[in-house]
Amino acid sequence: MERSQIISWLNEIFEDIIDEGPVSLSEKTVSRDVDGWDSLTNIQLVVAIEKHFNIRFTSEEIPSWKNVGDMIDCIILKKEN
Amino acid sequence: MDFLINQCYKQRYTVTLEVYSHFQMCCKDLNPLHTDEEFARKKGFPEKVMYGNILNTFISHFIGECLPTKDVIIHSQSILFKNPVFMNENLDFEAVVSDISEAVNTIEFKYKFVKPNGKIAAKGLIQIGVIK
Repeated sequence: MERSQIISWLNEIFEDIIDEGPVSLSEKTVSRDVDGWDSLTNIQLVVAIEKHFNIRFTSEEIPSWKNVGDMIDCIILKKEN
Repeated sequence: MDFLINQCYKQRYTVTLEVYSHFQMCCKDLNPLHTDEEFARKKGFPEKVMYGNILNTFISHFIGECLPTKDVIIHSQSILFKNPVFMNENLDFEAVVSDISEAVNTIEFKYKFVKPNGKIAAKGLIQIGVIK
């Protein structure tokens, strides 16, 4: 699974959930870089990402993400296992 | 978590005169479809059509009062109205746990309200958060 393809899907998911216009994520993007990405929105994002990729995160994994790159690492790891 | 995928919850709800009157007092919607028998009949309904959003209040009751924990908050709910509901009809409500995200403590229910004739009055999805 290509990281660039995952970012493209994540952009679509973020735009749909956050509803504040186009989103352009990069590996280094953090929550404060994206308008509307707050703790409540994060719940919806996690649920939407789990559904899209058909994976399950744990409550320990999410706080360990420092940026979108970490999120992508976690998605790839889940898809490979 | 007190929930399992495919777990099913059932309740029976009825739009009584009391429920109808209280809801009308809150929403102040006096559209004749909901208040005028003759108007409703002219539009092809056998009697006044009950407010569809009363069903949303039943969902509020289900989430707030009928789950195994009170530590819940509604994040979102959708509703698709399929068939009109009339005064004093018993509605069988069924909600099935369709998704659980333990990472963010959310539960999704797929629900439906079924009329006495077996037709679906409304259906949709509810997402709740389990508050720690």
